[in-house]
Amino acid sequence: MSFQDIEAGRPFSSRRGLMNGKQDPTQAVAAGIFQINTAVSTFQRLVNTLGTPKDTPDLREKLHKTRLHIGQLVKDTSAKLKQASDIDHHAEVNASKKIADAKLAKDFQAVLKEFQKAQRLAAERETAYTPFVPQAVLPSSYTASEVDVGSDKSPEQRALLVESRRQEVLFLDNEIAFNEAIIEEREQGIQEIQQQIGEVNEIFKDLAVLVHEQGAMIDDIGSNIENSHAATAQAKSQLAKASKTQRSNSSLTCLLLVIFGIVLLIVIIVLAA
Amino acid sequence: MGILYALVGRGSVVLAEFSGTTTNASAIARQILEKTPGNNDMHVSYSQDRYIFHVKRTDGLTVLCMADDTAGRRIPFAFLEDIHQKFVRTYGRAVHSAQPYGMNEEFSRILSQQMEYYSSDPNADRINRLKGEMSQVRNVMIENIDKVLDRGDRLELLVDKTANMQGNTFRFRKQARRFRSTVWWRNVKLTIALIVVLLVIVYVVLAFVCHGPALPSCF
Repeated sequence: MSFQDIEAGRPFSSRRGLMNGKQDPTQAVAAGIFQINTAVSTFQRLVNTLGTPKDTPDLREKLHKTRLHIGQLVKDTSAKLKQASDIDHHAEVNASKKIADAKLAKDFQAVLKEFQKAQRLAAERETAYTPFVPQAVLPSSYTASEVDVGSDKSPEQRALLVESRRQEVLFLDNEIAFNEAIIEEREQGIQEIQQQIGEVNEIFKDLAVLVHEQGAMIDDIGSNIENSHAATAQAKSQLAKASKTQRSNSSLTCLLLVIFGIVLLIVIIVLAA
Repeated sequence: MGILYALVGRGSVVLAEFSGTTTNASAIARQILEKTPGNNDMHVSYSQDRYIFHVKRTDGLTVLCMADDTAGRRIPFAFLEDIHQKFVRTYGRAVHSAQPYGMNEEFSRILSQQMEYYSSDPNADRINRLKGEMSQVRNVMIENIDKVLDRGDRLELLVDKTANMQGNTFRFRKQARRFRSTVWWRNVKLTIALIVVLLVIVYVVLAFVCHGPALPSCF
């Protein structure tokens, strides 16, 4: 009786626990996968709008929020899936439940793969285009498709993207060639200006040499004139002295003539007497 | 010469054009407009014989000009930029809905003026203006060198003349000194002569007073 009582108590408790734990995680995983599917569809629709006239900063912001939301959903659903898998391994459950859990896991993987694909496409287009372009720079254009056939259109969109990228590279190459030609021509003009400035520099150096030599000449002229001035002053003083001596000579000559006159007069008077 | 032909168009529609000479530039320009499809901004240059067609498209409006190959690229594209700004400022939004040759009657005069300006005025390009100014500075400095050389020649003449003057003044001083010496010696000789004559007179007077040439009575 005691043995039967113990055995009867445990199976009952175990059965009730299994029932509660098993149903909640599985249903939660299914609901999570459904929400992720819905969010990824919305995300793909937003991604298809990139590169069209509807591409606006608001769209970019919405795209960002949707991506964050999907990330959160993926995290929650992954946790619940792990919980369900643990319960499957610990307890004895029937095969139909295991098969259902495996199917949910497979669905979850598929949804994740689709989300990654959409995310990569979004990244490519976000770098290829900018919102609010005033006009379409690239000649190739395509209309946004609202139908959710991302996997089918992916090769076509990728080919269009490659073509757009090639056109853009050609355009940039043309711009680079044009700017290089302009820069080369400007460099040539600046080279000529530099050459002329070099010539003017040479002319200034020659002018400095000439002016310096002429400075020496002017110094010679100055010294010559000073020497001439000094010599002339000395000659002037010599001539002044000579003039004074000559005046004295005149006086002496007169005196001698007067004396001779007197002597001659006396001789005549004596002879006459 | 510089820019010979100019054209403003939208797509393949010509809105205004002006040709400075009688050439087939108009036909070639239309071919270029049709050969460059699309609506993207671009700068390209096509060469034809000795002339180059420069094309610039911005905001759907195409400006084109033909220049000879010596004009380079900087001045023609500055011209295209200037024409584009004038055209957009003058006509604004009407550009996108205008009829062919709708602006030709009045804008071709502006095209002509700007072609003349960018072809012959050195101020149209800052580098050319600077080149012209450096040429002027160089010419002025060459003139300065010539003037300084002339000044050098005249300074050399002046050095020679002042050297001559210095030599002459040295010679003048020497002759003045010699003249003074001559006059001084003559003065000395006259003084000595005067003294001798006075002594002779005194002797004669004493001879008379002392009654004899040997002066016997006085001693």
